[in-house]
Amino acid sequence: HYLSHPVPTMRLLTHNTLRNNSAEADGKGFPLKITCTEIRVDNDGTGEGSTADDEAREVAFVKGILGILDWPTLVQGASQMGLKTLPPMLTEELAADPQFLRALYHVLMNVHLVRGMLTCPVTGREFPVTNGIVNFVLEEDECENVRY
Amino acid sequence: GTKFRHDVLPSVSPIATSQRHSNLPDIAAILSRCVLIRSVVELWGAGTTIESCADSVQKFAQYNNKDKDIADNDNNGDFSSSSNSGSRSSASILAPHRTNSRSWKITVHTLGSKYSREEQNDMRHQFAFLRFDGPVKMECPDDEFILIREVALDDKGGPIYPRHSHGRVLISENEARPPVAAYFGRILGSGRNWRSDLERYSLKKRLYLGPTSMDAELSLVMTNLARVTSKSLAFDPFVGTGSILLSCGLRGARCVGTDIDIRVLRGQGKEEDVFSNFRQYHLPRPELIRSDNSLYHRHYRPQPPLYDAIVTDPPYGIRAGARKSGSKRDEVRAVAEEHRHDHIAQTRPYAVSDVMADLLDVSARALTMGGRLVYVIPSMTDFDEDTDLPRHDCLKLVYTCYQPLSAELGRRMVTMEKVADYDETKREAYMANVWINGPESAEKCANIRDRIIEAAKQKPGYEEKAALRREKRRATREAKKKAKRELQGTGDSISHA
Repeated sequence: HYLSHPVPTMRLLTHNTLRNNSAEADGKGFPLKITCTEIRVDNDGTGEGSTADDEAREVAFVKGILGILDWPTLVQGASQMGLKTLPPMLTEELAADPQFLRALYHVLMNVHLVRGMLTCPVTGREFPVTNGIVNFVLEEDECENVRY
Repeated sequence: GTKFRHDVLPSVSPIATSQRHSNLPDIAAILSRCVLIRSVVELWGAGTTIESCADSVQKFAQYNNKDKDIADNDNNGDFSSSSNSGSRSSASILAPHRTNSRSWKITVHTLGSKYSREEQNDMRHQFAFLRFDGPVKMECPDDEFILIREVALDDKGGPIYPRHSHGRVLISENEARPPVAAYFGRILGSGRNWRSDLERYSLKKRLYLGPTSMDAELSLVMTNLARVTSKSLAFDPFVGTGSILLSCGLRGARCVGTDIDIRVLRGQGKEEDVFSNFRQYHLPRPELIRSDNSLYHRHYRPQPPLYDAIVTDPPYGIRAGARKSGSKRDEVRAVAEEHRHDHIAQTRPYAVSDVMADLLDVSARALTMGGRLVYVIPSMTDFDEDTDLPRHDCLKLVYTCYQPLSAELGRRMVTMEKVADYDETKREAYMANVWINGPESAEKCANIRDRIIEAAKQKPGYEEKAALRREKRRATREAKKKAKRELQGTGDSISHA
């Protein structure tokens, strides 16, 4: 997979951190709605090249970031990317289950948006995703100094 | 282990000795991570001259198990066998390497000086008493021994008392000086293995380069300072061609990069972009986002902090001019809705002082507690580390490492660590405290390009060289115009008829 031309992508882990923090959005500019034109899903790791070491690394990585995930955003984003199997809540039980964590790794890291749109749920401002790169560069008139 | 007194060594020495009985896997792990270690040597003896080093090795070679009691009570000379090595006798350390089945060689490493082959062999002969029975093999022997002859070095790593002058003439008073120290031992692991990896990672082999791609060694050192591991989420807000991010990827980290310039992110074509570099080394794809770091807070979640490491080479106006969003004009026109997606938003110059202030502020927000920011900044000789580096109340300065690039210009690698949570209500105060000397400090980083040009203008011969360059450019322009006219065949070049 890595040997063919790797189309650049946006992952759900990244989507989880994205916001529209303009004044108009008033702190509510997330989750950005995902409209998919082209998605790419990597092999979920059970195929060639994956070892027990790789799997352990994946589980360790997911454990490390569990604390920073916004779960509702992830569930919505995943659903908009065609993955509707995430549980509505992250329980302690699930967080301790290595099988679940590996599946979560797959959702966070192996499902990529290649082309599409991210839309602010409040203002409707659209951020295009082209060749896997999200374009957040703002127009001159949008560059007001607002912080959230 | 062995003891060697450090009081004879100068403060600047590239050689460190340690009382340690490390096993090989640990050493291999250290070497795989540390890019600046040339080799790790099992020390058999040391002295202030090669002769005394050889004596010291000879004493070491003579000890065996039944002499262990003597060894423990022995504290004369500059060598003693350490009880740290437990029950390992010197015989057991040496014997395996003297059998005739093992090939060997002795590398002579003379710091800061060049010696002829004959001279090096004379040095080797002082250790002939070791009598290795196996064959000498120059390429990849089973055992490589090393004799290091150390002299006093200046802070740039050159000899304070060079052996030869520029014309390769021997400087006899320097030649007469004794060395600072000599060491002999067996190489346990070499940065050489890493160096062959470095060849792989070297810029020459990269598929995609830009004018500011950082050399592999430097960016790998940065990942060590930033403590990037395979558990890290690493971020480069000025990712450019991705050379630093690639080094984070080589440490196993998950990587995110942003840049305002889509041309750099997109690359030269299908086979040449930031991703092709990651693919070349079979690494998972990094996330790339096109955004302006001065507006980081507009696009990313403020809590909780995301990144374990932020590693970057900010744009500072020498080769890659920094840009930020926003118009050069005072009055800004809105872009009509139907043009928004195609519109290439105008950017305006981004002062280096703001680049740095924004970088520190983004780091203070986005780093996890204890996470590290490592960046490089150029400076000239007027830069005072104690007062001119940018600061942030949430970040503590951990290290600075200065690398001279020329007599006037150098590059500083700065490491900061997050020590306090970011408090949004204190943002104004944070930004006001970035430059404790005010605009003056920022200017030292900000106008380096102009200052380098000014400095070049002061040098002799500048006018002549500048005139030559102007002439060359004019000639090239003329040649291009001529070629174009001939191609068009309009015949409107001046007629001589």
